[in-house]
Amino acid sequence: MSLKDIVSPFNAWKRAFEKPDTIVKPLSEREGSDLYRGFHINDIDKCIGCGSCEEICQNAAIDLVDVASVKAKPGDSGLRPLIDYGRCCWCALCVDICPTGSLGMSNDYTWISENSDDFRFIPGIDEKKWNRSEKGYRRSAESWLVDPNRQHMNEIEPDKRKKNFDEYAEGFTDEQAMAEAGRCLDCGICIQACPTHMDVPKYINAIRNKDLDEGLRIMYETNPMLEACGRICTAKCEDVCAVGHNGKPIAIRSLKRYIGDQTFKKKDEIMDLKPAASTGRKVGIIGGGPAGLTAAFYLRRFGHAVTLYEQHDKLGGMLKWGIPDYRLPADVLQREIDFILRQGVEVKYSVKVGKDISFDQLHKENDALFISVGAQIGSDMPIKGMETEGVYSGVEFLEKVAKGEKPFVGKEAVIVGGGNTAMDATRSSIRLGAKAKILYRRTEQEMPANREEIREAKEEGAELKILSTPTKIEKLPSGRLKIECLKMELGEPDKSGRRSPVPKEGSEFYIEADVCIMAIGQKVEPEFSETIGLKVTKWGTFEVHSDTLRSNDKVFAGGDCQTGPDDAIKAVAAGKKAAYFIDKQLRG
Amino acid sequence: MKELIERLRSKFNAKNIKEQRKNFVFITVEKKDLEGCVLYLKEFEGYGHLTLLTALDWIEKDQFELVYHLHNYSNKTDVSVKTFIDRKNPTMVSINNLWAGARVYEREIKELFGIDFPGCPRVNDPFALEGWHEIPPMRKDFDTKKYSEETYFPRPGRYTKDNVAQMEEQLYPVEAEVKNGIAETVRKK
Amino acid sequence: MKPIWNDTKEYDLKSGKYVKIWQGPQHPGVTGNMSLELLLEGDEIKLLKTHVGYLHRGFEKLMERRKFINCFPIVCRICVPEPDTNEYLFAAAAEELSGIEIPERAKWIRALNLEMARLGATVMGLGGQAGSFGLGTIGQWAVAHRDFLLDSFEELTGGRIYHMYIVPGGVRYEIPEGFEGRLEKTLVKIEKLLSDIDKVMFNNAVFKSRSKGLARIPKDWIEPFGINGTTARASGVSYDVRKDHPYLIYDQLDFNVTTGTEGDVYARTELRREECLLSINLIRQILAKMPKSGPVRTFIPDIMHWKIPAGETYVRAESGRGEYGYYMVTDGSEYPQRVHVKGPSYTHAMSLLEKLAEGNTNADIFGIMVSLQTYPPEIER
Repeated sequence: MSLKDIVSPFNAWKRAFEKPDTIVKPLSEREGSDLYRGFHINDIDKCIGCGSCEEICQNAAIDLVDVASVKAKPGDSGLRPLIDYGRCCWCALCVDICPTGSLGMSNDYTWISENSDDFRFIPGIDEKKWNRSEKGYRRSAESWLVDPNRQHMNEIEPDKRKKNFDEYAEGFTDEQAMAEAGRCLDCGICIQACPTHMDVPKYINAIRNKDLDEGLRIMYETNPMLEACGRICTAKCEDVCAVGHNGKPIAIRSLKRYIGDQTFKKKDEIMDLKPAASTGRKVGIIGGGPAGLTAAFYLRRFGHAVTLYEQHDKLGGMLKWGIPDYRLPADVLQREIDFILRQGVEVKYSVKVGKDISFDQLHKENDALFISVGAQIGSDMPIKGMETEGVYSGVEFLEKVAKGEKPFVGKEAVIVGGGNTAMDATRSSIRLGAKAKILYRRTEQEMPANREEIREAKEEGAELKILSTPTKIEKLPSGRLKIECLKMELGEPDKSGRRSPVPKEGSEFYIEADVCIMAIGQKVEPEFSETIGLKVTKWGTFEVHSDTLRSNDKVFAGGDCQTGPDDAIKAVAAGKKAAYFIDKQLRG
Repeated sequence: MKELIERLRSKFNAKNIKEQRKNFVFITVEKKDLEGCVLYLKEFEGYGHLTLLTALDWIEKDQFELVYHLHNYSNKTDVSVKTFIDRKNPTMVSINNLWAGARVYEREIKELFGIDFPGCPRVNDPFALEGWHEIPPMRKDFDTKKYSEETYFPRPGRYTKDNVAQMEEQLYPVEAEVKNGIAETVRKK
Repeated sequence: MKPIWNDTKEYDLKSGKYVKIWQGPQHPGVTGNMSLELLLEGDEIKLLKTHVGYLHRGFEKLMERRKFINCFPIVCRICVPEPDTNEYLFAAAAEELSGIEIPERAKWIRALNLEMARLGATVMGLGGQAGSFGLGTIGQWAVAHRDFLLDSFEELTGGRIYHMYIVPGGVRYEIPEGFEGRLEKTLVKIEKLLSDIDKVMFNNAVFKSRSKGLARIPKDWIEPFGINGTTARASGVSYDVRKDHPYLIYDQLDFNVTTGTEGDVYARTELRREECLLSINLIRQILAKMPKSGPVRTFIPDIMHWKIPAGETYVRAESGRGEYGYYMVTDGSEYPQRVHVKGPSYTHAMSLLEKLAEGNTNADIFGIMVSLQTYPPEIER
């Protein structure tokens, strides 16, 4: 032991004369770092109650609970996360998964309370001093655990696809489907938005588990027109998709199509449907569109005998006559209809009720009737020259196309309207060799057509003339049409929330075209409603009980003829609902 | 590494040879060859370091798997020797004579998996658990969730709601009834 | 075969010659919650039995019931002073089995994080070593300086103790701006501390006389007892995972493995001071050499249903206490079939401590225990 070893430790005293590092202030004044994972904050207006935070929390620290100030609405369950800080481990996976980005963490960590129950609270609802804290951990675009980009189906290029009516979207490959299914958070916010409430997360999970057979069975529980819907559905589910808040929504429709495409060859084997025990009751369905076909399918599952009366020589309704082949190939639709028919549906083709057979007779023969005749007549515009040769209604034009009649389009076609029918008419006339120009009275933003329909129409060369409306159509000596138009301005928002167009004085202009297609809406055939004598609304649609679709004693109505022109999935929902309540009524 | 694998194959009938990395191999031997194999690796091949010894429960196959992970300090390679034993009456020969440290592993495995190592000192002493009366907890048929639910009590008044059910109830009760009624007809066999 | 360690000798407690006492689990000298059952003859330890289980949380079992991403927040709890090694190893095992390659910059940031953690744990360990021999001042200094490092962690990772920064796929996010400068200030402080510790501890008659020659580990014990890390290096075995099985970017760093010869408590402690200096050196190298920009995270698709193909692997890293390893077995499902965590304390603090205690005094047992860098949660997990 040397002397040095005894003296050296006294060096410790040097530190006594240094400035101490201790914090003198109260501890609460020391802020956590900018990225500190402290107590949660939640932007209640941004939060949609999807439950992804609850799902990923490995400590079960998060419960979804009712909150008095928030009500459930489409795209929002109205529930909000309650966090138990006795369980929370501050790992912030909940923040990293949050699809809306509402959940974050403040840099506050020093708060204490004597009551342990105070440590269970709903961030954002219960008043806390850090609620408006700017600091603390938030997820960045990179730390989000969800891929914001969606998979895209391979498509034929616009220049090639516009030459014929072949289907141009090729459907997902296995890899694409797996990748897309992997983006889904299983939250189920979309189920409400779907008119027929398909179990989207369940069938996406089936894709994830590579069990497409199960996926098909899940889909048939809610929708027997899934292959058609997989192609042309308006996909309301994608509008509310949780992932869509910060990225592209899950391509739910394409995933649906994927299951259909992969399983259709073995559908009978997979579904393995044994005919239900017969109830001995008979149901007549008027109109073989999506509503009628859906009703027929489920009524057969309930064991009732079904007879379908169809005025055309083919089933499918608007899916057949209103949607061009490039979006929904005829054979796809037909194989789906055939499966429904194989369940034992009797069909009377080319029978127009009220003309070929009386409504009273049907009423007598059947224990219940379901009217699903759709809205088949194109609406007219109250302008001069509607009867001019070369002016079509959108549905009339598309029906001709569907029948393979190749209606005359000349070199230039003008399409009036901004809905999906207008887009179909536009793209069909392009395929028939014309240059297409769309006249729409509001702006592109207000167009009711699907965004991708508009995009694809533009890709194929359609010209969009917004804020314009025709006021007069004349035939020129050359045989072409002269269309007088007015410029419009956007005024106050109307009931639908869209700003209504107001004509601009003195803004007339003229365009010339070979044909003019009016795709501004459809209505129920008035003669039919008159012959059957059911109550109608002022819009000419059938008036029914809103819950049960029942009109009177044993007559039910649903689909476009009850709602006015709408999409296929709504018709499917109506058919399903009618089948359920008809069955309920028949069983007493 | 190649030659070593060949030697293990011929001497101990090593199967299931899997080269996870270029200096790291997994082999499987019969239960009876295990002790000889690790002894050989230790004494003749320089694998003197027992990195770990652990067990796995393959309940579907009704087997336990024991993993002896050995490391060679001089050539920096690893050999993981594995063997399967019967799950019904699991016993294994103790290697505490080869590695003094092995007794801790064996005692732990005895407690957590219920695999006996006759001859290992203090093998029956409790390791991490005290007063444990359930089946060995690392076995796959021990349900931690069930155990904790039975042993502890839930917080009174705690509830959580399913967002889908909540939306059904609040926004579309009739359609939800229709949906469930219809779905049954498709599932019905 | 003859046992290499025969400890079956019986002691007759009724003879009045021996006394049995329990130290721990709540005892300021015991590192963590662990208890020692000591059989003493006078002041001399005749027999020691270690008892663990006071911090058993069943992590391995819990992981079998959790999806891969949900295991990530719990693994750090296996080791409080140095959680990052666990985070890294879990991520590395999962990445190896699922074939995920992480971005280059993420590797450097991970290494930075690991070195910072090692530095913090080792500095605190030095303080603990001093404390166990009654040099409380150094304990205070060490804890205070670890706190500066925790400030850096707080800034970098958002957490002081459990950082949860190394996630499967890389690291959570970028290094905050100006972080390097602030970290450097802390490193300078720690360097000054180390020179003070030199004067007050390593050149201290009390410490020297008590620790020199105490609990000497002969070189031929290394393999039978499974010793590694600084404990093995102090006995002259040059084994360091960073050098022998370079992971992350350690092969691109310039460093040497230091070994001791004596293998006693003093040699081990001295080596740990070297370790601190080495960590500081490595942190500076990493900050200087790492790519200045680039992605820090590989996206893992469908994280909530992350399925890892069937396989098994063992990954290892050098923690402050020695080789830390994760043995992971997957079966192709969303859950691990088995994750086995092998911390260095497992062999050091159980069999080795029992062996080393024999013949030493009750007063020295804590010094021995700290010198083995015992950390109970790592043993029982």
